[in-house]
Amino acid sequence: MSSPGFNFSNAVRNNFLQEKGIPLPKATSTGTTIVGCLFKDGIILGADTRATEGEIIADKNCEKIHYITESIRCCGAGTAADTEFTTASISSNMELHALSTGRAPRVVTAMTMLKQYLFQYQGHVGAALVLGGVDSTGPHLFTIHPHGSTDKLPYVTMGSGSLAAMAVFESSWKPNMERGEALALVSAAISAGIFNDLGSGSNVDACVITATQTEMLRNFVKPNERVEKERRYTFRRGTTAWKTENIRSLIVSEDITPVSAGGDAMDIS
Amino acid sequence: MSIMELNGGSVIAMVGKDCVAIASDLRLGNQALGISSSFQRIFPVTDRVYVGLPGLATDVTTLRERFRYRVNMYTIKEEREIEPETFAHLVSSTLYEHRFGPYFIEPVMAGLSKTPSGGYKPFIAATDLIGCLNFAKDFVVAGTASAKLFGVAEGLWEPDLEAEDLFETISQTLLNAVDRDAYSGWGAIVHVITKDKIITRTLKARMD
Amino acid sequence: MDRIDMNRLKSGEVNLGTSIMAVQFDKGVVIGADSRTTTGSYIVRIVSRMFSMAIVANIYISQANRVTDKLTHVHDRIYCCRSGSAADTQAVADIVHYYLQLYTQSHGSSPPVSVAAGVFQDICYENKDGLSAGIIVAGWDKEAGPSVYNIPLGGGLFRQPWAIGGSGSTYVYGYCDATYQDGWGRDETVNFVKNTLSLAMSRDGSSGGVIRMCVITEDGVERLFVPGDQLPKFWEGREVLSAPVKKSLALAPMAIE
Repeated sequence: MSSPGFNFSNAVRNNFLQEKGIPLPKATSTGTTIVGCLFKDGIILGADTRATEGEIIADKNCEKIHYITESIRCCGAGTAADTEFTTASISSNMELHALSTGRAPRVVTAMTMLKQYLFQYQGHVGAALVLGGVDSTGPHLFTIHPHGSTDKLPYVTMGSGSLAAMAVFESSWKPNMERGEALALVSAAISAGIFNDLGSGSNVDACVITATQTEMLRNFVKPNERVEKERRYTFRRGTTAWKTENIRSLIVSEDITPVSAGGDAMDIS
Repeated sequence: MSIMELNGGSVIAMVGKDCVAIASDLRLGNQALGISSSFQRIFPVTDRVYVGLPGLATDVTTLRERFRYRVNMYTIKEEREIEPETFAHLVSSTLYEHRFGPYFIEPVMAGLSKTPSGGYKPFIAATDLIGCLNFAKDFVVAGTASAKLFGVAEGLWEPDLEAEDLFETISQTLLNAVDRDAYSGWGAIVHVITKDKIITRTLKARMD
Repeated sequence: MDRIDMNRLKSGEVNLGTSIMAVQFDKGVVIGADSRTTTGSYIVRIVSRMFSMAIVANIYISQANRVTDKLTHVHDRIYCCRSGSAADTQAVADIVHYYLQLYTQSHGSSPPVSVAAGVFQDICYENKDGLSAGIIVAGWDKEAGPSVYNIPLGGGLFRQPWAIGGSGSTYVYGYCDATYQDGWGRDETVNFVKNTLSLAMSRDGSSGGVIRMCVITEDGVERLFVPGDQLPKFWEGREVLSAPVKKSLALAPMAIE
């Protein structure tokens, strides 16, 4: 139970079920729009906040920009659990690496760790990532595909909304943008995904990374706020008929009865 | 037929004002055949944390024991009760360990977590079958009636419900959703967790 | 024994659809590649808001990167051109790069191209069941001067005066056979590579973008870049059916330029 790595003890049973024609259920996937963009002072990452399970929206406001180090962050698309655990594991290894070298770790280090991890699993760990950050060698932006291939580009998009977002970048990105301009472009790219791709939706998350600081702008734009309900649907108490009731009190009450009164005092001489 | 639909069953959890509720139906089936109308799939973890395990019944038993073992080991090592956030990560990592041969369970958790000032804060979470956590602020659902539960809960839930009002809302949400699901139903159970008591009620429900 | 499916690519894998090439000349080698990478993983649903009806379309192939650099450095004077799976070829090139660094440290001198090609072949042959990688290794060394090695899909190793690879190469074998001559200098070789790749890119849907080239000689590595709108042009066809018919000419049964 404490051995590291994956546990395959259910694999025989599950393969048997699959061979009998029972399909394996879907895991949560982030049918996503994630982007990254280089600007004058560093990198801006962006993501939508919808998580889907098939055609059901499982989470309307999930976080897809994951922490790697203080100045390196990573957007995840694909199988939600894989992006979550892969980035957490690499974040942990980056911290250990920083501790053992005594230096701030670089973006290429994270990129190499991620690509080697994903290549090892031959695409079965379904994480499609946009990795960005600033280190001693400057700003860097990468995409990492589930099979472990990487690309280094000044502006990148990934996930099911990548085409919509890339259309925005291809028409408007230019080198050496100011912070505000770049942030507006990233918002526009994510919005293109949110409104045109069914797998993406809800809000825009952004993360601005420069040499001096990292700003996580959670729910930077909220274009899909739910309007307040016009009427309330609270039920009158007693609406639901129930058969049995059990109330377990969590309050520990103690009655203290002094017993010394009248009795003989202990001999303590 | 998906393996998640073999035994049927659904679970829902909701946040209220200084309280949480978790509820499920009581049916155990073998596809269309009903086997039991008193199948327990919500289990207490600590006094103030409950977990619901909808999915394949054999894995309900296996995972319940697995979680019990890991929670006991945690309690012994840490010499304190596990907090709901920690338990959620314990569930998540247990499921992800079986990433390439998963348990067919989508756990739902509800509890009250201790705040530094000594109060209690409502907490709910759910994961998919490989452990991707979903921390919702309103409600989480899972099981064969999940699609219906999403729809009804989206309409009925509102913030800051008192324990008794939360009981009505979660009960009505569950009953109306499972009544439209062939694989869920046959009775229902609701647990409302407040800072000083846990109210458990079995509901009067359709038995068809 | 089961036959290996040479064209197998794991579903959704990033593919270097690719036209790649390497040619040796008296003083060095010229290597070149297109810049297109595609992936088949996206299933995109486009909903038209113009109509009340949703139009759902699936796009299976999309471009992952339009300015990819498929000319990969593995040592000071040794490069490789990658085709096949992006993940597999990057992983192999990373291992070879690491191996050649170790080699340089332990031998105190740069490795010959033959050694680099040998390491590539070892990996490609030993893992032929798991890799889809077609690699051309080219460079310059003290012992042999310029050399080009081709390592196609099964993991064979062939030294050739010129080599082409990737899906686009099938369209231009005839052109290369008809055009290549021994004894060319740098400029003629660069032109040959540029023309060949342009022809391959125009016929192969999985190739395109820009042309990247490297001239590797004893003196160093020179990078050349041809933008997509400045590719060498060849006959590109003309409209036959809708073109106005010249009255003076009799209508030909088949359009022949």
